[in-house]
Amino acid sequence: MAYIAGVDIGNNSTEVAIAELNRGSQPRFLSSAMVRTVGIKGTLRNILGIIDALDLALEPLTITRKELSRVLLNEATPVIGDVAMETITETVITESAMIGHNPSTPGGLGLGLGTTILLDELESAATEQPWIVVIPGTVEFREAAERLNRATSRELEIAGAIVQKDDGVLIHNRLHRPIPIVDEVLHIDRVPRQMPAAIEVAAIGKAIEKLSNPYDIATLFDLSPDETRNVVPIARALTGTRSAVVIKTPRGDIQERRIPAGKITLIGRQQKAEVQVEAGAEAIMNQLAHVSPLSEIQAEPGTNVGGMFETVRKVMADLTDQPVSAIRVQDIIAVDTLVPQKVLGSLAGEYSLGNAVGLAAMVETHKLPMQRLARKLEIEIMVPVEVAGVEAEMAIHGALTTPGTRPPLAILDLGGGSTDASLIKETGAIESTHLAGAGDMVTLLIDKELGLDDLDLAENIKFFPLAKVETLFHLRHESGAVEFFQEPLDPRLFGRVVVISENGPKPLDTREPLAKIIEVRKKAKKKVFVQNALRALVSVAPANSIRLISFVALVGGSALDFEIPQMISDALMEYGVVTGRANVRGVEGPRNAVATGLVLAHAAKESG
Amino acid sequence: MNISEDMVKEIILEVFQQMQGADAPAANQVAQAAPLQFREIGEAKPGTDRNEVVIGLPPAFGTAMTQTIIHIPHRDVLKEVMAGIEEEGLKARLVRVNRTADVGFIAHEAAKLSGSGIGIGTISRGTTVIHQRDLQPLQNLELFSQSPLVERETFRAIGRNAAQYAKGEHPNPVPVRNDPMARPKYQGLAALLHNKETQYVKPDMASTEMTVQL
Repeated sequence: MAYIAGVDIGNNSTEVAIAELNRGSQPRFLSSAMVRTVGIKGTLRNILGIIDALDLALEPLTITRKELSRVLLNEATPVIGDVAMETITETVITESAMIGHNPSTPGGLGLGLGTTILLDELESAATEQPWIVVIPGTVEFREAAERLNRATSRELEIAGAIVQKDDGVLIHNRLHRPIPIVDEVLHIDRVPRQMPAAIEVAAIGKAIEKLSNPYDIATLFDLSPDETRNVVPIARALTGTRSAVVIKTPRGDIQERRIPAGKITLIGRQQKAEVQVEAGAEAIMNQLAHVSPLSEIQAEPGTNVGGMFETVRKVMADLTDQPVSAIRVQDIIAVDTLVPQKVLGSLAGEYSLGNAVGLAAMVETHKLPMQRLARKLEIEIMVPVEVAGVEAEMAIHGALTTPGTRPPLAILDLGGGSTDASLIKETGAIESTHLAGAGDMVTLLIDKELGLDDLDLAENIKFFPLAKVETLFHLRHESGAVEFFQEPLDPRLFGRVVVISENGPKPLDTREPLAKIIEVRKKAKKKVFVQNALRALVSVAPANSIRLISFVALVGGSALDFEIPQMISDALMEYGVVTGRANVRGVEGPRNAVATGLVLAHAAKESG
Repeated sequence: MNISEDMVKEIILEVFQQMQGADAPAANQVAQAAPLQFREIGEAKPGTDRNEVVIGLPPAFGTAMTQTIIHIPHRDVLKEVMAGIEEEGLKARLVRVNRTADVGFIAHEAAKLSGSGIGIGTISRGTTVIHQRDLQPLQNLELFSQSPLVERETFRAIGRNAAQYAKGEHPNPVPVRNDPMARPKYQGLAALLHNKETQYVKPDMASTEMTVQL
């Protein structure tokens, strides 16, 4: 009889399985444990985590480390991924021509057309034409309202007002004759005077109709067909806002500009292709499929993508003691996304949605210095340590202990930096692949699309379901279900959108509504995980046909996500594949597959 | 050595006079603001209108005392807070909380009387709390504890945020400056103002509903 331990060092967690081995019979698993990996996978710092995990697993068995007859390590495949974002369009205003923003509380209602004029010049203004009054922040709302009322009483036609402070409703409430008012216009001094302007405010819960339609703008300002073409970006930028101002200036112009974002060179085994990043994700992925199987991908130096490629290669070079020149990027995934961007030259700090391409790259080398790690560990714990098997093979042996599976079985490991897949055929032959893009990319997409600029927050949004705290005694989950509490919640949660983490509700520091956050999260997961699951399965499947795989089991951390398994299962439904979360040895769930596989492979070798 | 309350008062006064001596011209030139024209309507009852935010004030506010610690007239304090509430489309209701000078309890009383459950408590020197009726009195939604740092714009923002809470929105908390010198510089004055404030408290009197002519 002998005790052996299988140890799996992953990017995030170190897992251990302990089994009792008797000659001629199957190994009997006694316990397992999981701790956070210490240091980068493959480095000597890992030993701390390994010893921790071993002790944790041995504790309930009352066995000491020295009684172990062997410790088995996995031959980890070193895969490192990183992500970057390239914005490819931006809106530029060359002269102040529009204010299209969404102050939470504009004043009044409707559409007004007139000529812009400063409040101070109103006294001497002519009565022939309608005016749109520009009110700077130095004027108090009472005084502003009074002066507007005085002006209307001497037959001056006031069609609308543009206000610097958040005073729209206050001024409007004090007017004898209602007008539409747009407020919170930060750079009011840049609003051109004596220019024809149109102002529109929609009812609460509605969006403006006229100023978001190029033909309506053309009607209001009497534009030629060529000029109408030029106002299209204005109309587009104003779509969906509750209030807007458009000012016709002689040379005013708004352009949507495409930013050159560099190019990517895809070098396949048979052919080579170049693709511009600004062509978008679809073009990049099409070229990728066309050129594959890939041997290397290069990015233009001096661009964001080029910088990201360099970082990944450098990290890998440091890790494996190889020169950077020997490290090659082997896979990328591109995803289209919309990123809120400040409009250049804007008057009220407006945002427009710019197109962007998110890219993830992956490098892979042959071997991590695992032998060095094994020798060092042996000295530390005084038990024979052996590098026993390749990660992908061990994982699939472990996954096969899931009740209800048999070859051909594919496993999908959705990690942080890469998506890995392997397949075991009826013959026992194993195919495996590593693809760029996984959890980290989803986090980046959430961060950029919501404009959070806070990766920890984005990570929380990715991991946990959302809820809205409606009163201090109840919250509404994103499913619509209401949960009541006996004790009042923390006042910092009042009225906020929260994530339901394992430590209870945690407030999100964002003003985005719940529905928007859910949509962004789901879309990001679909774009990355579903696309990559299909890509990975196609590349390992017999004859590249997913239909020929009977079983797909999800392993690793992302398999525990609350919605990803469902999404992948939905996507694979049409192929008639049984898809689910692995349940290693019928007890471990999607965890511990590699550690279990190591023990099983060792036992098979001993008895065979 | 026993230090009686009177001694503390004396010391504070002395220190304060010395401080005034240092920058006397500026300090003495500040004219006292005029008292406000309140009209008392009767005992305050809990509101039923979801559309209101209640502002709770201690007895000395706008009467015995007329400006905050940094000389913002109480008239302007109320103007700004009420403007902030109005801009969000809600109504402000005024209540005089007679039985305490503690800003937390005043705000909590205001919240309990408010149809929306949201109340604002402001005491004479400017310290302010946004409260919700289901909270404990010493908790808060937002607290502006350093009165010397509560400015006109802060009062406007406090009104706006309270109204947004009442609408069930989730505003970002009003940014508060932090000044480590505010405490040493104003502590004596704050203590005196607190003493004055508490003199007018009527512990047995219920809260009264009010209107004000601004």
